[in-house]
Amino acid sequence: MSDPINIRDLGLGMKVVLISGAEAEIVGNPNDGVWLFARYLSSPGDPALVGQEEMIFAQDVVETRS
Amino acid sequence: MAINGTRGYRPGLVDLATGQISREIFVNDDIYAEEQERVFARSWLFVGHESQIPNPGDFFVSRMGEESVILCRDRAGAVHVFLNSCRHRGMKVCRYDDGNTTIFTCPYHGWSYGTDGALVGVPYFREAYHSELDKTKWGLVEVAQMCCYKGTVWANWDAAAPPFIEYLGEFRRFLDLILDGWDGREGQAELLGGVQKWLIPCNWKFPAENFSGDSYHNISHRSVDLVGAGPSGRSRRDMSELMASRKLHVAIPDRGHQTITYVMPKDHVPQAAYQNSPEVAEYFRHCEEERRRRPSANSRLIGAPGEIFPNLALLPRQPRTLAVWHPKSAHQTEVWRFFFVDRDAPQSVKNFLRDYYIRYSGPAGMTEQDDMENWNYAHAASCGTIARRYPYTYEMGLGHAVEDYEFEGLRMPGRVIDLTAAQASEEPMRNLYGRWAQFMEADSWDELMSWRRNDLNSLGREAVAAK
Repeated sequence: MSDPINIRDLGLGMKVVLISGAEAEIVGNPNDGVWLFARYLSSPGDPALVGQEEMIFAQDVVETRS
Repeated sequence: MAINGTRGYRPGLVDLATGQISREIFVNDDIYAEEQERVFARSWLFVGHESQIPNPGDFFVSRMGEESVILCRDRAGAVHVFLNSCRHRGMKVCRYDDGNTTIFTCPYHGWSYGTDGALVGVPYFREAYHSELDKTKWGLVEVAQMCCYKGTVWANWDAAAPPFIEYLGEFRRFLDLILDGWDGREGQAELLGGVQKWLIPCNWKFPAENFSGDSYHNISHRSVDLVGAGPSGRSRRDMSELMASRKLHVAIPDRGHQTITYVMPKDHVPQAAYQNSPEVAEYFRHCEEERRRRPSANSRLIGAPGEIFPNLALLPRQPRTLAVWHPKSAHQTEVWRFFFVDRDAPQSVKNFLRDYYIRYSGPAGMTEQDDMENWNYAHAASCGTIARRYPYTYEMGLGHAVEDYEFEGLRMPGRVIDLTAAQASEEPMRNLYGRWAQFMEADSWDELMSWRRNDLNSLGREAVAAK
């Protein structure tokens, strides 16, 4: 299991991989340590999410990609 | 002596006919709990000032009675007042004093809300809730009514309460004295600096009563007068104008608001004030001139301590400040003091006034320290089983108030006692506690709006007369 990621450190444009395997690009960070605003780039489990912007829960973020 | 087996409020504790009020209303925990429901959950309460939230996303965490509330401006610019409590398990969703944000996030389970109060983030919404939770039903609790008046923000939990302006009634002109510019322009007040907050060990009604217009306790401030803490180095305020005026107690009986006010003669000449600084003195001299060029009902009034029911104190002139007496328990009050200046005043004038204001009011203010000492020790000495048996007297000036008071063509609303010769009365306190007792006994706002019944009656009489 990877170390927890402090999402407050993540800036706009960074990409995150979620526990579902989806990948999303950060479009906003309220800096509350709990949520990110992000747009789905891929979503193998639910392709309908691709292109949508959603709030991403910190505990769903398992990896970051620049 | 009979044992008092009644714990909570009961009629008779406030006896306006004899001018006696039981100490129980100040120190009784059961009465305190009842007044949270009957007074604070139904009254219009001061929440803050729009200048504290100028931009979208700005917020200021305030209080309404015991409740923590968030005053905020949403992304579209609308002002809201929300209960600061997550709908999931009640945790505070905002634990800062003020700031700017896009969302309010509960640190307990992560529910988050937009600045418009909508529930926007629910962890595991798809997985754990199976997308079945109706988010539209679980936004932040918003007050039933809110009113922005000349920059001040007021809120009420009770949808049945009258609109704020109607709640103020004819007391509005006295609130205007603090919110309008000293030169007579409307709504020029700007909040100066932050809000001073501190705890005092007494019931909230002690300061509320004091600021209703207790001029009898001036002896308490003798040391401040002797020091010359005022802005001209004499006394604690500039008094020369006041000496030439009529000093009045004005009480609005069906609303529970009351104040001291000074009425200047029709042809009065402005007196020198703020003599510790020639620049500040010149600023106020200029404002006085401008004020005369804009004659209004208020141009001959000088404001003094007053109280808007239940817990908002105003002091329109020296110092220019609002205070909120937030109840914490029967035995503790959290005081929040807001200071105001004219928005367009030069910075040097604002600096001078800031120094004078905090020398006078607030936890380090010389005059407020005198007051706190009285309230705190009076409360402590009234808590004992024996002390509670003996009521306070509010008989001073009982039966001496008049209606339709007029001085050189200027009519005053409500019930008035001219203090110019009498020096003091307890009419404002009787008015405050009379209204408080009405709230404690009335089960709905219908019973609390006697003026509407009077209006209907007079309309009925006019209709009959017309026939």
